[in-house]
Amino acid sequence: MTTTTDSRAAARTAPAPSSTYRLGFGRLLRSEALKLFTLRSTWWSLGITVLLAVGIALVVGLATQSLPDEFREQVPLNPVTAVVSPLQLTMLVAGIFGAMAITGEYSTGMIRSTFAAEPRRGAVLLAKTIVVAATLVATTVVTSLIAIVVLTPIYGSNGFAWDDAELTWIPLAYSLLAIASVTLLGLGAGFIIRNGAGAIGATVGLLFVAPLILSIFAAFGESWRWIADLAQYLPYNAAGTLVNGAGGDALPALIALVAWPAAALLGGWALLRTRDA
Amino acid sequence: MIVAEGLTKRYGDKTAVDGVNFTVQSGKVTGFLGPNGAGKSTTMRMIVGLDRPTAGRVTLDGRDYRSLRSPLTEVGILLDAKAVHTGRSARNHLLAMAATHGIPRSRVDEVIEITGLQSVAKRRAGKFSLGMGQRLGIAAALLGDPQTLILDEPVNGLDPEGVRWVRQFVRAQAASGRTVLLSSHLMSEMALTADHVIVLGRGRVLADAGISDLVAAWTRSAVSVRSPRAAELAQLVAGADITVTSSESGLLDITGTTAAAVGEIAAQHGIVLHELTPRSGSLEDAYLALTEGSVEYRTQGAAS
Repeated sequence: MTTTTDSRAAARTAPAPSSTYRLGFGRLLRSEALKLFTLRSTWWSLGITVLLAVGIALVVGLATQSLPDEFREQVPLNPVTAVVSPLQLTMLVAGIFGAMAITGEYSTGMIRSTFAAEPRRGAVLLAKTIVVAATLVATTVVTSLIAIVVLTPIYGSNGFAWDDAELTWIPLAYSLLAIASVTLLGLGAGFIIRNGAGAIGATVGLLFVAPLILSIFAAFGESWRWIADLAQYLPYNAAGTLVNGAGGDALPALIALVAWPAAALLGGWALLRTRDA
Repeated sequence: MIVAEGLTKRYGDKTAVDGVNFTVQSGKVTGFLGPNGAGKSTTMRMIVGLDRPTAGRVTLDGRDYRSLRSPLTEVGILLDAKAVHTGRSARNHLLAMAATHGIPRSRVDEVIEITGLQSVAKRRAGKFSLGMGQRLGIAAALLGDPQTLILDEPVNGLDPEGVRWVRQFVRAQAASGRTVLLSSHLMSEMALTADHVIVLGRGRVLADAGISDLVAAWTRSAVSVRSPRAAELAQLVAGADITVTSSESGLLDITGTTAAAVGEIAAQHGIVLHELTPRSGSLEDAYLALTEGSVEYRTQGAAS
């Protein structure tokens, strides 16, 4: 035992004056954006998505232009259909991206650093919600712009009817809403489940499997019809209704696209308040 | 100053921390000791609001961690080296942490330099060795130049230079009036670093005392004597509370008395001494005596 007690006690002085560093919500947003864009996986997944989505739009555009003339005169083809044609793919990516944005923190332990820096977890959830949704919406805007630029010469005189919002601006805006909705559904599922595989499974299941299951009931006659009708409240069907005009009412579709992510995020927030990190 | 009052944490029917009360004073290095599973890490997580206490509370200078407006400048925490996203570089991790408080890049580069991470700062944290991960965790804890440092096993995996650096650094922090709470399983290191120790066992505080007081209370000082007339001397010093053992011919280990007393007796009887060495107990001896019976995961066959 060689503990010395020389001048330790004597050297005590008043603590240094507290610094000017403060938490702020704007700073939290900056931190979340930094976290997202300092991961290579973000660039890879978004980059590949943009390439694939533009590629799909291009192929769909070329294919519709190669249809026989008499057919194209009967059914006026809207080039926006080609622009939004990769929506299934981008919705899938968006859901996975949203889930991974938070489950990556749980699996690596980063979440403890995050909550040590900002112990009000609701603020973290809100900041992540804004940053992740904005990122996917921005990516979709970029994808759509590239697709529009690429498709305009292909369609030539039958091009985009920008003066008719019903055919252009509105479906494009709805496609952004659908992407934001699915991203946040994934994020909410990630906050609830905290495990990457589980959150992705839940998101993909709700997106693509639930519509299949509900559609089975359409075959069982009128008494089961109401179950099949519930499908209009699923995100996938709602996105189809709004973006592709795939039939169905706009209002239930809008409600669905807002309510699903809202419910997932509120559920995540409620659990976040009480759970140990 | 960290104050825990009746702090309790249960996971299901297992009580990890059981009504713990303690105060970690500023201006001192306080060591947090205890066997694996004693509740040290759980207590540290509750201090910074990561785990919610089942009962009781713990405050930092009277405030709940969750109410702090600039937690990184109040408390620097190293919980484990793995609280970092493996896909992000060390520097980017620190920049993202710093961004939450508007801490400038210059400070990020400063903590990188302080912890000796310059050469690996651009590498992904997932590729770090245990020691490098530990340095990154310490760098993150230092970002806000905090008034309180809470370090769980900070020297785990560090090289000897790093171990000495941590010791000197936390001593300097405490000397400037800050609060330091650190846990370690290295008793010799703790004895060099801490002024005060809190010993946990099975979720309860077993001891909360200065290191010298703890060692004095939980160990018996001994005297080693080497003499050609050892057997004769052994009979002369014998008495109540005094035990004499001999592990080799001519060498006595005497507990319950002092080197001075043994020397006096030898001189009175004209016994030649070749060696007379007082030995005080170590923190390790005190710790083992104290935690005997509260060790949760005991090594098979190892007697204590």
